[in-house]
Amino acid sequence: MSEQNVILEKITAIIRDLFDEYDGPVTMETTANDVAQWDSLSHVRLMVMIEMELGVHFSTSEMQSFKNLGDLVNAAAKQVG
Amino acid sequence: MTSENFPWRPPLSSNWGERLKIFEAALIEGRDLDFHAVRSLAGQRLTTREQLRLERFANKLLKSDIPSPTFAPVSIGLLGNRTLSYLPAPLAAAGLARGLAISSVEAPYDSVASYAYSPSDCFGKPLDAVLVVLDETAFANKRPILDRAAEEEAVAAAEDLFSALAAATLEKSQCRPIFATLPAAQQVSSAELATPGTSARFRHLVNLKLAEGAMLGKWLIWDQAALASRVGIENWLDPIRYHAAKIPFRIEMCPLASDSIAAVLAAMKGKSARALVLDLDNTLWGGVIGDDGLAGIRLGQNSPEGEAFVAFQNFILSLRDRGVVLAVCSKNTDEIAREPFRNHSEMVLKESHIAVFQANWNDKATNIRSIAETLGLGLESLVFVDDNPAERERVRQELPMVSTIEVGEDPSFFIERISQSGLFDHLPLNTEDISRAESYGGRAAAAEVRAKIGNYSDYLSSLEMRMTIKPFDGAGRSRVTQLINKSNQFNLTTKRYGEQDVQRIEEDPDQLAWQVRLEDKFAQHGMIGVIIVRKDGAAWTIDTWLQSCRVLERGVEQTVMDALFDTARRAGASTVHARYVPTDRNGMVSQFFPAFGFDIVERCDDGSITYSQEVDQYAPHTTFIDVSIAD
Repeated sequence: MSEQNVILEKITAIIRDLFDEYDGPVTMETTANDVAQWDSLSHVRLMVMIEMELGVHFSTSEMQSFKNLGDLVNAAAKQVG
Repeated sequence: MTSENFPWRPPLSSNWGERLKIFEAALIEGRDLDFHAVRSLAGQRLTTREQLRLERFANKLLKSDIPSPTFAPVSIGLLGNRTLSYLPAPLAAAGLARGLAISSVEAPYDSVASYAYSPSDCFGKPLDAVLVVLDETAFANKRPILDRAAEEEAVAAAEDLFSALAAATLEKSQCRPIFATLPAAQQVSSAELATPGTSARFRHLVNLKLAEGAMLGKWLIWDQAALASRVGIENWLDPIRYHAAKIPFRIEMCPLASDSIAAVLAAMKGKSARALVLDLDNTLWGGVIGDDGLAGIRLGQNSPEGEAFVAFQNFILSLRDRGVVLAVCSKNTDEIAREPFRNHSEMVLKESHIAVFQANWNDKATNIRSIAETLGLGLESLVFVDDNPAERERVRQELPMVSTIEVGEDPSFFIERISQSGLFDHLPLNTEDISRAESYGGRAAAAEVRAKIGNYSDYLSSLEMRMTIKPFDGAGRSRVTQLINKSNQFNLTTKRYGEQDVQRIEEDPDQLAWQVRLEDKFAQHGMIGVIIVRKDGAAWTIDTWLQSCRVLERGVEQTVMDALFDTARRAGASTVHARYVPTDRNGMVSQFFPAFGFDIVERCDDGSITYSQEVDQYAPHTTFIDVSIAD
């Protein structure tokens, strides 16, 4: 399994925890628009949980640049790998 | 991260998730819940995941209409110049751990000025309190460096804003505000406080104004600054999200902040703890008074540990000065337990400080209930402090409404854990508050002893005890000798033997000499018993039977006695003889042999009693200890 897949799997677990009413797919293309519970409030919390789980830190500009989960996974992979 | 911030809470129980599921299902089906159990689940050391689940559960519980007498409803407004949207869910969760059902309404973003100065009311209903969290940017006045006049003006303007908010809160929401103190600023120099115009100095001056207003009863304060300095300002603040999400402090800190706010709300609702119930041995002094004696316990100048116990006692006395009622709950003989209070020169606490003095050999949960009844206080207003994890577990199982603090076993941390717990949080005190402890008197009276409560077998089986019985050997010799010469209380004959005597017994084929060790899921208790039996053909005689008082009422003596009679039977012995030699210390075992069915043979002139028991008449016991016997 590639580094990206491992990270996506961990993030998927967090998303299932945080957005308990969402049962759709979680992929590299998933965005906040796909998940009803994913509002600006829970977004910050999601980022915090991902940072804690993966042991990474995103900078202010990095976080602004994420267009979908894939961007986030790739940014995390750079730090983990 | 979340769990590390709550060292005073008990660790997460292994079945936390399953237990919460049961409550979630009950909530959906509208069934009654065991609210005390909910409270103790909420009060454990949660990780991020459990925290999230608890928050969701708390929100559902608040929305349901199941009456919950355990949780006092509190409804608060949240007002700030930064977003406080991250607080309602953790506040609801934190409330459950402190016996509160906290529902909060957040004011629209940055409506501080309109709430303070215009007729508009963003909450639109009466509340129990309005929590106001302002950071430095809420105070607009310019403060040029070294310009004291401008600084004074800025502080006066801040005070005006607080007064206007207090007036608005009273008028619109019919309650008082709770102002958050301002956390310390990053320091450019170590002269910040001495440099007019700096952020650090401004925040300090504003905090003093908040304190003065609180003393006058104009408002309450939530000491955010103290909490931030406890965790470290770098951990408290999150510069990235301060700018990105307009949060006043780090999101991960929300559970801790909420718990600390809940402590203020609990104090406001009269739900703070009122009494502190204290264990004695290894809690107020080092060592066991019954075994080590007045000269042997560690208290004061003779050791670093002793100094820590003195500091702890001074702290306890300072709690009493604030009105906290003190009680003692100890497994000890009453007279012996009182000895340090009366005769130890380093003892800070005296009998006159203790309202109820409960020293006996009963189960602590039962004794704590008696203490509450004697004081006329509810169990939920009691805090229990004991260095022994098994005792804490027992009290948590039987009396979940009592707050049992995870003080650990090192006395150097006791003060910190009790302070951090916030259980004794209080509003600014008045003279009536501080006379409360006095009103209970220093009777140091013992409460009536009640029947044992709860299912004790479940508790014993949950301890997962394992016992090892081995003949004396070289490795255990010095500890065996130590126990033989130190044990006073649980000691039937109090015979003393030196190390060479012990070695002689070890090598003597006509003596059975056992060293008994015990461990459970909390601790390795090490060697907790020594048995010496003389084998004289078919007649065996118990020469020495002693046990440590750390592990009483666990079924230890039953397990060992069963093993002894089993061994005697296999060896072809027919009778076991025994003797009890009373001393001024071993009254607790005066009924030891009769309880095992031994018959009295003779009452001797020196006060000792001899017994005997036929081997084939002996009835074994049901115990909860896995035992292994090595030859």
